[in-house]
Amino acid sequence: MTIAAGDARDVGAAPAVVLPRERVSRWRQAAMLAPAALLALLFLYAPLAFIVDMSFTAGSSFLARAGPTYTTENYATIVDRYLPNILVTIQLALLATIVNLIFGFPFAYILVRRVRYRDIVRALMVFPMFGALYVAFGLRFILLPGGAADPLLKLLGLPNNAILFNLPAVVFAMAIFTFPFMVMSIGTALSNVDPTLEEAAACLGARPWQTFRRVVLPLTRSGVVAGALMVFGWSVGTFAEPLLLGSIKEQRTLAWTLYQRGVVGNDYGMSATMGIVLLVLAFVVTYFSLRYSRGALVE
Amino acid sequence: MSAGVAARRPRLGARRLAALVSHGYIWLCLGLFVLPFIALLVQSLGARGGTSGIDNFSAAIGSFADNLWWSFRITALTLVIDLAVCLPAAYALVRYPLPGKRLIFSLLQLPLYVPGAVIGLSLLLTYTFVYRFDRSLGLVLAMAVGSFPLMLTPIVVALKDLPIVFEEAAECLGASRWQIYRKVVFPLIGPGVSAGLLLCFIIVFNEYLVTLFVHPPTIETAPLRVFNLVRTAGLAPTTAALAVVMQVVSFLAVLLFFRIFGTRHFRGTYIL
Amino acid sequence: MATVHLASITKRYGDTAAVDDVTLDVADGELVTLLGPSGCGKTTTLRMIAGLVEPTSGHVFFGDRDVTYLPPRSRNIGFVFQTPALFPHLTVADNIGFGLSVKGSPKAAVASRVDEMLAMVGLAGYGARLPAQLSGGQQQRVALARVLATDPTVLLFDEPLSALDRNLRDTLKYSILDLQRRTGKTAIYVTHDQSEAFAISDRIVVMNAGRIEQIGTQTDIYLRPATPYVAEFIGANNGLRGTITGSDGSGDSARWVVDAGGRTLRGLHREDLAVGQSVIAYVRPEDITLLDGAGVASDGQENVIDGTIDRVIFEGPTAQVRVDVGGRELRVDVTGNQRLTVMQRDGRVRLAFGPVALIPAPA
Repeated sequence: MTIAAGDARDVGAAPAVVLPRERVSRWRQAAMLAPAALLALLFLYAPLAFIVDMSFTAGSSFLARAGPTYTTENYATIVDRYLPNILVTIQLALLATIVNLIFGFPFAYILVRRVRYRDIVRALMVFPMFGALYVAFGLRFILLPGGAADPLLKLLGLPNNAILFNLPAVVFAMAIFTFPFMVMSIGTALSNVDPTLEEAAACLGARPWQTFRRVVLPLTRSGVVAGALMVFGWSVGTFAEPLLLGSIKEQRTLAWTLYQRGVVGNDYGMSATMGIVLLVLAFVVTYFSLRYSRGALVE
Repeated sequence: MSAGVAARRPRLGARRLAALVSHGYIWLCLGLFVLPFIALLVQSLGARGGTSGIDNFSAAIGSFADNLWWSFRITALTLVIDLAVCLPAAYALVRYPLPGKRLIFSLLQLPLYVPGAVIGLSLLLTYTFVYRFDRSLGLVLAMAVGSFPLMLTPIVVALKDLPIVFEEAAECLGASRWQIYRKVVFPLIGPGVSAGLLLCFIIVFNEYLVTLFVHPPTIETAPLRVFNLVRTAGLAPTTAALAVVMQVVSFLAVLLFFRIFGTRHFRGTYIL
Repeated sequence: MATVHLASITKRYGDTAAVDDVTLDVADGELVTLLGPSGCGKTTTLRMIAGLVEPTSGHVFFGDRDVTYLPPRSRNIGFVFQTPALFPHLTVADNIGFGLSVKGSPKAAVASRVDEMLAMVGLAGYGARLPAQLSGGQQQRVALARVLATDPTVLLFDEPLSALDRNLRDTLKYSILDLQRRTGKTAIYVTHDQSEAFAISDRIVVMNAGRIEQIGTQTDIYLRPATPYVAEFIGANNGLRGTITGSDGSGDSARWVVDAGGRTLRGLHREDLAVGQSVIAYVRPEDITLLDGAGVASDGQENVIDGTIDRVIFEGPTAQVRVDVGGRELRVDVTGNQRLTVMQRDGRVRLAFGPVALIPAPA
């Protein structure tokens, strides 16, 4: 897996500062990297390799005394039986990403260009980062019959179950959870755009919409795309939100299903296969996200 | 030369309207971020079912004391491991001409992008069938592998911002390698390291998903307890109280950090 | 007792040689300046003397000790950087005492040495402050004190004044010279500023593209540049090609006579030239006097050329006059009252100047 280095662009790439230190032996350099490398290798890469292997074993045959039965059946089954699970996972992640794009761009723009009380915003923006679990838990109280959202729902003429235990609540919770990441990505790109460019466009007679379309958006495209891909990559792993706020339909997301199959049902092969599919979904977009971010992560 | 008619200032000018809408929008979004927390707070203070807020919280602290204690211990251990792993790695990545270091950095960043359920499942299966050692240590290592990139990035950024001349000056003044690290480098990247500590604290302290997969039966951390209670016992005010306690502790850590160091040390991480 | 000897040191980065076969002897107590534009290898040379960079080949000696492969901390050097590089988290006193305390000196000894150093650089009473509370000049003085506190055998300066404004530069360069003289330490000073180099050096080493162009005293460099590069680097921008046709005089008034495109010029004597050799004659714009068409040159102005004014560029304190002398253009810098009247001058002028510097023309 070569996630090529969009974000690592800058690490030590400035030759003016980094002088070759011939006196530091190769051995010592390697020794300093070793703890991190070992941690990642032993507790991430090796286990991932292990479940790749396991995804090719049938059911719980891995435990069989005669040794595992190798088969590609799990992948066939996933296409046959679990396609809806994959689709609903992608659907939820896609919807959350779109919601974040629509609401995140103006937020990032106003934050970067107009807001002076940034520290308050930063402080309050960490609340979603505490975890999707609390977000989902809190929203459930609000959306329950008799909850705080009741008057609003009545006003809109919606029954309770139009939101809660349904798609909108899940997407809403997922969007709140990932919103700060989207804002971070777009905001970083925006703060690299010189505001005088917008003033220049305005003085040349461009309307606000034209300035946005023809100046701001092209210059921040990489940040927007990177943010969207990152949010999507994170959202495919959603777990608590569909479980606490969704109906049976939303609860079929891959993460929850693989927990059910693997931990509850002991079907390790199938569970591992779902893990691989989920990993591929997350990595494909993350790969492009890192390529696109052009170092937004490490400045 | 005739004076033109002076333009009158519009009563509610477009500019003022735009400013009003902009700031209103920001606060609306901020309200939504805090809304779930407020809901939990109100619920935990509310007197539904006859118990008062104080009772809920003392019940939460009382019956969940074990879970909170586990959470604090596991988080602390994880932070120690993260620090021990990231400080030397970040220094080597920034200061030494390692071949392929961009790739190495990317590979070390990758755990952030692996869905928690996949980390959890792969570790559960590996712990069950391959690695056989103490499962509580396994839980800590699972937390460490998922969180250390959050520590690595701010330290890398801090080191890159630190001109190498301070280390050279110390070296010319006769300081040994170790003295340079201890007396010059470490104090000067302190804020970056603290930013990493804060991020890792927030993530690990509230982690429930990987924990759900790999926790040994004897250990139930506070966030995992919240998850299990919500799934089984429904919406009890005491559960809400526990969730509130977790978020308040996390938020206090954030506020404390902002007070001491400000917000600029999160560059390259997930706080704008 | 510390001499510094560089024995053909070379530093390569990949295919390019940042420093190429540099050999240099610095006597005990001498202040030698490495002068050159950025990228000429002077800083790399200094960093090799400090041990911050390891030479690709060659050796560095302090006295008769080969220090080539010693780390900086074992060389007992004092390195003053371009920026003061004071540790921002330590007080002024802790900064100055850093070198002693990392070597394990007792606290009381460190404290008294710090006070001594603070007094020496004129900052007594500033010990408790943080570096950020000092001005740029004060910071650089603390950096000096920090370096001197460890009693180093060799002082190394890497453009220590380049980050300061002009007035401060002028006063600080004499403080540096004064401290070096008082402590009697061998010093090597890197700069790209020729006036700085002329003001403080015992000897100057002019470097270009990793090599030494010339080593000499101020007068050597100023009056007898060895190569066209040195001549132009120190501001003798007017170069005229010619051929040596003869010589006259002896001792201090020995001269080569040069024919430069039909004009006869008299140049300073140099042993390594001979009749018939082609040379370049250099004269500085500020050394030329501009006379009326029939003006008389004063004593010592052995060369007189007639020409016509091409162009006058008024620059405030000076005026630049471009004079055409038979198809070649010479630049003359005019100051004082003359810069105001030169504008009205008609075309014909006479240029008068002393003996020119002669340099063998490159093949």
